[in-house]
Amino acid sequence: MKNTIKVERAKKNWTQADLAKHIGISRQGLNSIETGKFIPSTLLALRMAKVFGTTVEELFQLEGNEDGLGE
Amino acid sequence: MEQSKKSLHLQSIVYALIYGATYLPAAWLLKHQVVGQPVSIIIAIVPVITFAIFIYKYIKSFSAMDEVRQRVQLEAVVIGFALTAMLLMMVFLLGLCGISNNLWFGYADMLGYCWLFYFIGWVVSKRKYGV
Repeated sequence: MKNTIKVERAKKNWTQADLAKHIGISRQGLNSIETGKFIPSTLLALRMAKVFGTTVEELFQLEGNEDGLGE
Repeated sequence: MEQSKKSLHLQSIVYALIYGATYLPAAWLLKHQVVGQPVSIIIAIVPVITFAIFIYKYIKSFSAMDEVRQRVQLEAVVIGFALTAMLLMMVFLLGLCGISNNLWFGYADMLGYCWLFYFIGWVVSKRKYGV
């Protein structure tokens, strides 16, 4: 799964610490999500989308065969 | 809010240290049979109580963690539990074959291995999620 958190953050000129504070997680936790190592819960994804004024679909996208539909 | 979360994490660490501070002297006192049996029973129970308090504080702290840290702790506990269960099973089955080594695989050692496996799981999981 890829995400556009870094891009959205740059638009707002926020550091990871700023965003982490807004959505109530640790900076290290946010870094883990931003780098794709951890997939956040629906609640956290919705919170992120809300603070950026966008949608979860804009923020997170499936890649490759992750849609589960096969070839 | 953030302050109370930090306070809960700190409390769980403090109670882990209290548990350690009661367990180690108790083990030493009981091993060297310094006191009589009635007092020994009380000494044997104290670390169990401090451990129970520590677990209570740990669970409270766990519920205040963010989801990435919760995942790290969960994986650490699962890895620790699985490795400890494997070791116990192996020691038990080897014991049935008449192969046992109480010097390295007694009850006290098993407890030590359990903590060791938890910390191995913790390091593995922390590296996995980069936290």
